[in-house]
Amino acid sequence: MNKTLLGYVPEQSPIYAVHPFVKLFFLLVVSLFPMFIASPEWNLALMLFILGLMWLSRVDMRVLRIYVPMVISMGSVIFLSYTVLGGVHPEFGLAARIAGVNIYWERIRDASVVYARILPMIFTMVFFLSTSRERDVIVAMRSVRIPFVVTYVFAMALRAAGMVLEDFQIVRQAEQARGFDTAGKSIPYRIRKYVMYMIPLFALSLRRSEEFANALLARGYAFTGEASRVKRADYVLTHYSFRPADLLLTAAIGLAFAALLVLRFGFGYFELERSWFIAWLKTALD
Amino acid sequence: MAPIIEIQNYSWRYSYAKMPALNGINLIIEEGAFVGIIGPNGSGKTTLAYSLDGLIPSQYRGIKQGAVNILGREVEAYPAGALQKLVGVVFSDPEAQFTAMTVEDELVFGMENLGLSVPEIRERLEWVTELAELGQLLEKPPYEISGGQKQRVALAAVLAMTPRVMILDEPTSMLDPVSRKRVFDVLVRLKEEQRNTIIVIEHNLENLASLADRMILLSNGELLLEDETHAFFEKMDLLLENGIHPPGAMLFIHRLMQEGYYASRLPLTVDEAAACLTEVVARLKPPGPASSRG
Repeated sequence: MNKTLLGYVPEQSPIYAVHPFVKLFFLLVVSLFPMFIASPEWNLALMLFILGLMWLSRVDMRVLRIYVPMVISMGSVIFLSYTVLGGVHPEFGLAARIAGVNIYWERIRDASVVYARILPMIFTMVFFLSTSRERDVIVAMRSVRIPFVVTYVFAMALRAAGMVLEDFQIVRQAEQARGFDTAGKSIPYRIRKYVMYMIPLFALSLRRSEEFANALLARGYAFTGEASRVKRADYVLTHYSFRPADLLLTAAIGLAFAALLVLRFGFGYFELERSWFIAWLKTALD
Repeated sequence: MAPIIEIQNYSWRYSYAKMPALNGINLIIEEGAFVGIIGPNGSGKTTLAYSLDGLIPSQYRGIKQGAVNILGREVEAYPAGALQKLVGVVFSDPEAQFTAMTVEDELVFGMENLGLSVPEIRERLEWVTELAELGQLLEKPPYEISGGQKQRVALAAVLAMTPRVMILDEPTSMLDPVSRKRVFDVLVRLKEEQRNTIIVIEHNLENLASLADRMILLSNGELLLEDETHAFFEKMDLLLENGIHPPGAMLFIHRLMQEGYYASRLPLTVDEAAACLTEVVARLKPPGPASSRG
């Protein structure tokens, strides 16, 4: 198993045959797809396609369970914001009136569209982080000559997120060992006591950043001055080659995006008016 | 040998502290020497290491007096990143010094910072991988290997930069005895095969005493004793007074010396101590006819 930014992927995974640049290109381009797709069913299809890619890449699909609460809570916030907290709009069609609050059809529709757009974006990022190592990010960005400092800081930021989660577990276990545990307590209690975790976590992060700055300096890295202008060998790039298959994949992703734009703006595909899901929802609510 | 490190009347006080961490240090270390630095916690050992690598004063706030010269030049006079080509530090916490997510990237990072070419990097990578026995670990994240392996990775990463001075700040303090021995095995090979100046800060003297050419004792920020290793340990009472516990075998022979049973050189290793003991026993054996059996 190889450790990725968000878990582990078996060494036999076909994803390793793909050049890291293709993965980063996929992330950057496919994340834009939902911006140009209004029909929820197409965005949900895109999400299923990405889940299929994760399965093909042999990502442990059980990791998706940890995103279920996030997906539910995000959906709840979006729907509540658009409907209950959406304000008074006499120009909209009234779908229901609950406890004196008007729920408009247009707000339900818009919430569905926004939610369906966000889901594939999230899963595209999860797919990338689940199948990429920090090294892949560096290779991908250095392949297109992005300055090392930008590449390195970006990779470190990704890693830092994982380290903070690990540190959080350490702090939590340490406090549990001393008899402090919020398990089974009410949510207000947990929120109140959250500071018990945050203070040591914050202190730990400060210490880590100091140690990391020392380690960088000790390894001869400098953000300014002569040492920062050293031409780097990019040794890691010698392990990768951009093959014809990678070129084909990159071209396919780019062409898919171009086709999407043409279909959307040239032929009106993926618009709300053509969405059978929205039509079904309207019928269901009427 | 010419001095590579010259410290003159050096004092350092952290801005948050009332007392100086180092006070009036004068020290000369010659190129190629293997130096051990010992002292109780809080005696200023790590501060001294950071002062030699330029982490002090560049990364810490405080008041400095005196001079720390590396190759005749004050540490502050080196541009950022230049001093680290000459002086490499291995910290006590292995995880605190990792800058990459695979062992190979970790080993390569410092070499890339030096501007080495790919063939040079490949050559040095093979060398340090073999020296520190890291061949099976190159693809692994450094955070997921054992403590001993982590410290060997950290040591190899610094070694790959071929600094003229290597400082190891309690490199085995977090390791079990087996891992500790493997780290010292690397140091033994370094001493035999390379000409680096090596400074090792350690609490555990079992392995250090037999390797070091010279030893230094720090206490409360002051340099109490500096001498050739044998001569250093002969001042046993001073060491014991300052909370230093020499290896048991050495202490045992020292006790024999105090009792008047032995008067030669103090042993530094278990083998040397066994030889001393054999000598003492032979001398104590009563003369007479050889006993016969049966």
